[in-house]
Amino acid sequence: MSAPQSEAGAAAPRWQDLARRAAERRNAEVESVAVRKLLTFVLDGSPYAVPVERVREIVRVRPITPIPRVPGDVCGVISLRGEILEVIDLRLRLRLSAPPSGRASRIIVVHAADGGVAGLLVDGVTEVLPVPEDALRPAAGTETGNVETLCVRGDRFISLIDLERVLRFDAQH
Amino acid sequence: MQRILIVEDSPTMRALLVSALEALDRPVKITEVASGFEALRELPRVAYDLILTDINMPDINGLELVSFVKNNAAFRSIPLVIVSTEGSERDRDKGLRLGADAYLVKPFAPEALQQIAHDLLDRSRRRG
Amino acid sequence: MAQRPRKGRRGSKTDQEFVSEAEEILDRMRQDLADLNEERVAGDDVDPEVVNRLFRSAHSLKGLAGLFGFDPIQDLAHRVEDILDGLRLGRVRLQLPVVALIDEAVHLFAGLLEQIGNPDELAAAVETIGQLAERIQAAREAPAVESEFGELALDPSLLRALTEYEEHRLRENIRRGRHICLIDATFEIISFEEGLSRLTSAIREVGEVLSTLPAPGEAPEAQIRFSLLVASDAPASEVVSRLGLPGGAVRLVRAGAAAALAAKAPAGSAAPTAHGPAAEADEDAGLAHRDGAEAGEPESLKSISDTVRVDIHKLDELMNLVGELVIQRGAIGELVTRLSADAATARIGSDFAKVHKALDRKLRELQSAVLDVRMVPLSQVFEKVSRVVRRLRSDLGKDVRLELRGADTELDKLIVEELVDPLMHVVRNALDHAIEPREERIAGGKDPEGRIRIEAFQRGNHVVIAVSDDGRGIDTASLRSLAEARGVIQSGATLSEREALDLIFMPGISTRSEVTETSGRGVGMDVVHTNLTALGGVVDVDSTPGRGTTIAMTLPITLAIIQSLIVVVARQRFAIPLNAVHETLLIAGEEIQRSEGRELLNLRGEALPLLRLAAEFDLPAPPPDAKPYVVVIGLGESRMGLLVDRLDGQQDTVIKPIQGPIPAVRGIAGATELGDQDPVLVLDVSALLADCGRRRDAS
Repeated sequence: MSAPQSEAGAAAPRWQDLARRAAERRNAEVESVAVRKLLTFVLDGSPYAVPVERVREIVRVRPITPIPRVPGDVCGVISLRGEILEVIDLRLRLRLSAPPSGRASRIIVVHAADGGVAGLLVDGVTEVLPVPEDALRPAAGTETGNVETLCVRGDRFISLIDLERVLRFDAQH
Repeated sequence: MQRILIVEDSPTMRALLVSALEALDRPVKITEVASGFEALRELPRVAYDLILTDINMPDINGLELVSFVKNNAAFRSIPLVIVSTEGSERDRDKGLRLGADAYLVKPFAPEALQQIAHDLLDRSRRRG
Repeated sequence: MAQRPRKGRRGSKTDQEFVSEAEEILDRMRQDLADLNEERVAGDDVDPEVVNRLFRSAHSLKGLAGLFGFDPIQDLAHRVEDILDGLRLGRVRLQLPVVALIDEAVHLFAGLLEQIGNPDELAAAVETIGQLAERIQAAREAPAVESEFGELALDPSLLRALTEYEEHRLRENIRRGRHICLIDATFEIISFEEGLSRLTSAIREVGEVLSTLPAPGEAPEAQIRFSLLVASDAPASEVVSRLGLPGGAVRLVRAGAAAALAAKAPAGSAAPTAHGPAAEADEDAGLAHRDGAEAGEPESLKSISDTVRVDIHKLDELMNLVGELVIQRGAIGELVTRLSADAATARIGSDFAKVHKALDRKLRELQSAVLDVRMVPLSQVFEKVSRVVRRLRSDLGKDVRLELRGADTELDKLIVEELVDPLMHVVRNALDHAIEPREERIAGGKDPEGRIRIEAFQRGNHVVIAVSDDGRGIDTASLRSLAEARGVIQSGATLSEREALDLIFMPGISTRSEVTETSGRGVGMDVVHTNLTALGGVVDVDSTPGRGTTIAMTLPITLAIIQSLIVVVARQRFAIPLNAVHETLLIAGEEIQRSEGRELLNLRGEALPLLRLAAEFDLPAPPPDAKPYVVVIGLGESRMGLLVDRLDGQQDTVIKPIQGPIPAVRGIAGATELGDQDPVLVLDVSALLADCGRRRDAS
């Protein structure tokens, strides 16, 4: 089966109408129904998430060596297959209370925007969740600004972490 | 409701295809993706009844996508239309040999697209 | 040409949709065209990816303009697309007129978009371009007779999915004698893009990805498999090992010319595949052939068999493995000690100790052999420097002689790489700022021709690279007043001549007010200092006004494995590179003296400034009655004593960088792993020394 070849000139005005309609529709709608995949985890009993494409791996908690002269929400460094990685206590970073890490605690190794990596200490990893884009709402000014978006899941909200913000530490020395 | 997947990297082109298909006198649900990779991720998610794909795209090209669809038992029976620009006849022919069901050469009239979509969606319905 | 009524200069609202995407396409084309021209001017191989992207842009523009009925744009895009198609399929050569034409067309597209309502305004320009395009098309080479790919061991389904362009790239790479191989990789569908992009960017370092064919994985609902057709200069096996893929994942489809040469040259006949004696005989024949060959013969077989090019990453891997072995040896050593300590196992302990000792010796040999492989002479860097000096000399119009000594001095490959930038910076500074203009030199009674000397030599475990010039020297008085003005030092601070010279390493200081192109905008000696410190090196400056300046960079020969002293502070272990440790002392608290709030130790009549590591790092202090250990550390001239709770022996350590978002912590050079999993921080001795010195100045 093949398409009938048509004259460009004849086709053009019709496409113009269609294009106008498309433009109007796009202005009216928010965005198409793209789907995002989120890795969800628990902090202080509440669900949080990071985009799955930013996650390199999830590892069990291992000995962490503290580093001097760094902010208090930096736990220190771990050794992971010969790499030395900094680990941030995400509870402290989000100003939540911080009991010692338990059996379910994990370190999520994420990619930073600048190509680097970092570990995030969380209370436990839950699942990978496909979420339609239209289930995401901008988060109203949270205390730390570290949550960029809320994801509506039934009657629950999952807080989507703003990784750029969480991973931004200003030079102190 | 039948589902159509549009794979096309130009947003304007995508919008045109969507408008033409929305004007079909049958209810369809259209999903647009901007690259072959997105299509690969999208395909296993829901059962599609029609795929429209461009050939010249950045990550994997349209032919590679056709090959993937037509060599995969789960997707083989989804009708697939190649939307190409004149000048790529050789590639278009290759696409047909790989199993694409139809092709459209830009610039084409909206009716041409609508007619093809209509026929292929009918076939898809009979099948499934 | 179909004319439609238009509203306003830039057309109707729907046209805007087209215009905004077309503008994006043009932006991309401008960028790609600039890259392309740079490659053309540099005489580099043209990146096929860039040409293909340009083609795709013109192609999209043509398609869009066609649908919207913008005929002039469609026509122009069509012509440009044709030329780019010829370019990407190798039928049009990349020459200046081609680049100029595309550039002109991009300009014209922008004009046409501006005047989208009145295309006639630019009709003449479109016409001119059309004629130009036809001339280029006329010079187009006839398509070469296209060979089929039957000879390739490839699945026909893969060949069927190649676009015309991909077929061309395959042919082109075969023609160039590159290895063609097929790499299979399976990924989870939810995250395949990341894995695949990591794979393709790794491949792009060694070659080109010709095609990426997706196929269902073994679990089609969750996995996806990609067959990547790859062309590379390195053989397939190397590609595999570099990518860390299982061996079965890669299949050689066609061996490249290097392999073909090795196979064909000896017998001069059909490719021999035999191994064993027959192959050896062939090799002898090949050698005989070489002896009789005329000069200028391509690479001989002998050179192929005697040297192997090894990828530095492989060496790193080897180094890491040796590093791990060294750590294991440490663990065995502990076991030996425990076995020997217990009477019940003392006998076996002493036998074990002998074996351990032998293992230890062999391991050291292995370690130094691996280190040795990593060593490269400085000559490569020197060549680079000479090239830059030659170019700058003519740019700046200065008469300068470059003297190089010690080009055969060897350094770890990684250090050599890191050294290039700082060294280049120092040399540029000398050329640009230090060496006076010819007239000034003559007036000052100097040789009109300036001199820059780079001298490298080994000193113990270090290599010194000194750059000296016979220029105007550093004016410490103006350096000092600049430092005061910038607030780097307090006004009226007393500085020795040496301390004043060291100011050039402070951020924000440069002895000349204007910044010139040559020395790089605002990048000063502080960056040189920082880079060298990161490598565990030091940089010293010496200068005599009117006579010249010497900048000496001292670097460790290797970064790989170093001996460290392990110390304990508040139960946390730290490693101190042994090359910076002079001695260790156990002292009584009363021996510590105070002067102007600083703590000192009388070390054989010399005042040794002390630094309490616990206080420095905000760690809990030891009980007051505990006897502290003093680790005397020093680099170059300066010395200081670190107060620690306890010493924990010496260890072989591999210093690794700390990865993560926290900016570098002053006083910490990196981390190392000791036997167990837990990482130990390595102290940055030069930073601690500098801080201690600064505190001395402040008090």
